Amino acid sequence: MPTQEGFNHFDLMLWLAGLGVTLSVFLISSVFGCLLGTLMAIGRYYQVAVIGPLLFAIGEVLRNSPVIVQLFLVYFGIPMFFGIRITQFDAAILVLTANTAAFMSVVGLSALESVDREQVLTARSFALDEMDILRRILAPQALIVALPLTIGVLVNQAQVTSLISVIGVADLTRVGHILNQKTFEPFIVWPVIGATYLVISLAISALGKHLQKRVKMSGPLANQKETFAFD
Amino acid sequence: MIKLTDVRKSYAGKVVLDGIDLAVQAGEVVSILGGSGAGKSTIVNCINGLVAPDSGSVLLDEFSVANRKGLREIRKKCATVFQNFNLYPHLTNIENITLAPVRVLGVEPKNALADAHDLLHSVGLNEHADKYPAQLSGGQKQRIGICRALAMSPDYLLLDEITSSLDPEMTAEVVDVLKLLVDKGMTMILVTHELNVARSISSRIVFLEAGRILVDVHRDVFFSDAFLDENRRIKSFIASANGL
Repeated sequence: MPTQEGFNHFDLMLWLAGLGVTLSVFLISSVFGCLLGTLMAIGRYYQVAVIGPLLFAIGEVLRNSPVIVQLFLVYFGIPMFFGIRITQFDAAILVLTANTAAFMSVVGLSALESVDREQVLTARSFALDEMDILRRILAPQALIVALPLTIGVLVNQAQVTSLISVIGVADLTRVGHILNQKTFEPFIVWPVIGATYLVISLAISALGKHLQKRVKMSGPLANQKETFAFD
Repeated sequence: MIKLTDVRKSYAGKVVLDGIDLAVQAGEVVSILGGSGAGKSTIVNCINGLVAPDSGSVLLDEFSVANRKGLREIRKKCATVFQNFNLYPHLTNIENITLAPVRVLGVEPKNALADAHDLLHSVGLNEHADKYPAQLSGGQKQRIGICRALAMSPDYLLLDEITSSLDPEMTAEVVDVLKLLVDKGMTMILVTHELNVARSISSRIVFLEAGRILVDVHRDVFFSDAFLDENRRIKSFIASANGL
């Protein structure tokens, strides 16, 4: 029969360790997910033969299946079917990167498609090459559209990291389970864990808001009212 | 010389260009007139390569739009001004003008800026150089569009319904700029349904109907009573264009 123990300073260390894992998984999967998602969006925008429809199909599967199922399939499936040993942390990074990329590809595609196609045709008529058009015409305008949506995706993905505890990653949620089992104080442990996720989300939101303001301040939309996903 | 030979184009089974033969010599200003859907803008878009003809050839000097290298050269030599301006809204007016010369022609940014200021000065918009397109009126935007095209130092200028979305006052502003270009001997193809614009700057009028060239004559001939009496359909087009 488990015995109840009180909180001690090692619990704070455990919480910090869990926070570090959650932030690491979130940051790594967000950076790579955003990059990969942007490339997927570009591939779909330019309707690259074979790759475009393939990216669409992959994205649809990833966006429309539960992350927890993806985590189980990757963590248990890769060693079983490919004979490759994979740590819980690697599996978490792999799944969340792919999942973030799937959502970001939709954000990126919508943002690129929001730029008037006539501008692209005009740029082509002036012999600008596709890389210049992407860099100097499409990207700056798409960024303004994509930024609030991206922040929305990232705030959501920060919450989704809590699922990685089911494959044994020692993230914040896993730490919450451990502390709860140790102290039997669920109404102290879970509010603290929940508040930690809230602070992470608000920080992402504030950073996004700051970036959005900076982008707008440097362009023709400087005087327009801001719209922000997490307001 | 711009030369179109037996150019045909259809969209979803609808014939837009039905065997266009057209040659425009250096220094000529050719206006293409015709009703809506006659294929006027498609001709321009076939020349700048934004629309690929189903058959026929489009040549500009020795270059063909049919091959990648030729198309790039054509786009360098032949600039287009569009009906809806199509300025890049996130760039200032001067950045709109300098982008292509710097990136495509390899002009030094410092020189491109100086050239752009000269162009803006020539159209009376130098004080708007650092503003954004959204801060300008329609006529001013179109003059920026013309400056953007001229910044490429083109041999040919394609003008696609450039006064259609402007009121008479703004149209007059743009026509004044076009007259300056005519005086400088710029070769231009002007697509328009505005007779006054065509009459004031063109040397030649091409009238299009259902994707075919109905007439291709000197401006003075086109607007003469004798010619219009012989060509009733054109006369009725002119009457409807004049609101008669």
